Amino acid sequence: MEKKISKKALSRSFHHWYYGNLTCFTQEHMQTFGYLASMLPIVEDLYDNKEDQKRSMNTYTAFFNTEPQIGALVVGITAGLEEARANQSGEVDDETINGLRAGLMGPLAGIGDSLIVGTLIPILLGVSMGLSSGGSPIGAIFYIVVWNLLAYFGMKFAYYKGYELGGKAVEFLVGPVGNSLRKAIGCLGAMVIGAVAASWVPITTAISLKNASGKEYLNLQNQLDGVYPGLLTGVFIVFCWWLMAKKNISPIKVMLLLVVIAFLGVLCGFFNPGLKY
Amino acid sequence: MTISWLQAALLGLFACLASMPGLGGTSIGNYTLGRPLVGGLVCGLILGDLRLGIICGLALQVVYIALVTPGGTVSADVRAISYIGIPLAMVAIKSQGIDPLSGNAKSMATSMGTLVGTLGTVLFYGTATLNLVWQHIGWKAIENEDFHKVYLVDWGLPWISHFLFSFIPTLLLCRFGADAVTALKTALPMDGIPMRTLFTVGQLLPCVGIAILLKQIVEKATDFIPFFVGFTLAKSLGLNLVSCTVIAMIFAVIYYELEMIKQRKTVAVDAIDDEEEEDI
Repeated sequence: MEKKISKKALSRSFHHWYYGNLTCFTQEHMQTFGYLASMLPIVEDLYDNKEDQKRSMNTYTAFFNTEPQIGALVVGITAGLEEARANQSGEVDDETINGLRAGLMGPLAGIGDSLIVGTLIPILLGVSMGLSSGGSPIGAIFYIVVWNLLAYFGMKFAYYKGYELGGKAVEFLVGPVGNSLRKAIGCLGAMVIGAVAASWVPITTAISLKNASGKEYLNLQNQLDGVYPGLLTGVFIVFCWWLMAKKNISPIKVMLLLVVIAFLGVLCGFFNPGLKY
Repeated sequence: MTISWLQAALLGLFACLASMPGLGGTSIGNYTLGRPLVGGLVCGLILGDLRLGIICGLALQVVYIALVTPGGTVSADVRAISYIGIPLAMVAIKSQGIDPLSGNAKSMATSMGTLVGTLGTVLFYGTATLNLVWQHIGWKAIENEDFHKVYLVDWGLPWISHFLFSFIPTLLLCRFGADAVTALKTALPMDGIPMRTLFTVGQLLPCVGIAILLKQIVEKATDFIPFFVGFTLAKSLGLNLVSCTVIAMIFAVIYYELEMIKQRKTVAVDAIDDEEEEDI
């Protein structure tokens, strides 16, 4: 009789991944134990003898790391492969499974990091920050609810699609629809981030020149705003981008450089946060 | 404003859950509780000043809006930002008597949180290193066919790592750091160069966070255009973020349709090429 993974085992496997993909993280084996914990219900469901269980568990001791949320797809695919192996199709062995895992984790990490962590979460956070401005908790609550619903059901969808479709599940992500969708969301993300920067990063200069009678004849900030509102903010962001993207300087070094710029700027009066008790 | 042992312990518990790799799991822990905006909500509730908590969270959220950790390399630690940085910033703002709605409150929170977050990376490496011991136990268990120990290794034993590297540091830094932050007021006068620099740094730092995001999106100069369109909508036209998102959506839809046409064309061209080859 053909073996089939029980619904309960699949559900346990998914939830183990959903919760535990990174809980036992080390630099050496990042998500490997999360993967093992997730495959164990499947392996126990498919095999009764310890020998087969051990062989299958050993397959998943190989290093694994990807963007964990989109990575649910890979776990689902391997659940399907393990089922095929249990049915002795003879086509599935350690090499098939680990070749597929190793082949997918890099590209999926790239897609997941840029699409989920680099675009979806910032867009959600941007909107939530807008809702929370002034100190209202609504934005934070909005983020908690919307993000968690998206993450849970998105990962569940990815896991079960992976199980059902196997390798074909990936084609959607790299196919024409997936590619177009990624670019469109990237455009949306860039615009929202622009709005976040404009609303939340106010960089102003304190330079103003006064004539002999104390009347101000040049207020640099007003002049700059006349050219393009938020000009200094834009300039600083492009400057930081240029340092990191074109000069390959690490974010921490860029931050230190900003400390130096702030210090010099305060000394010469360019910056003055106008502190008083 | 002081932080009691109980409050510090609660913050410590949230630090365990929220870190990357946290015990709340990735989606709930790192990407929900670990985000400074949510951290601000939690800290605000624990310390009894919800509005101030959210304001500090907002300020830090801009800096860390795109905290991507490719391949497990971190430049800042979320547990330290959200559950050590925010509480200390709240204490500092209160003790200095800064208006929570002013730009200076934001700058203070940004400087304090970023400093703590950067130093906090040591907690990340501590946790990850101690987890090696638990993984070693796990390898042995698999060797001995004691498979269920995998659960203990993945979900149970890391609590020990977090007790040492999340709970204890958060507990002590929040409990005693609050006094130190309050003492800052007398040590460094507000109109002196160091404090003015600190606040200016707080204004400048969010640029790094935004730039990290742009680094992923921008490949060529024209990719800056959507960013500056959004910037202009918010700054020059004064639209709020939700309105900007709605406008951005129509551009995204158009962009999607255009890309689909482009992709379909290449597929069609490929198909024609194939046919021609067959003819030959």
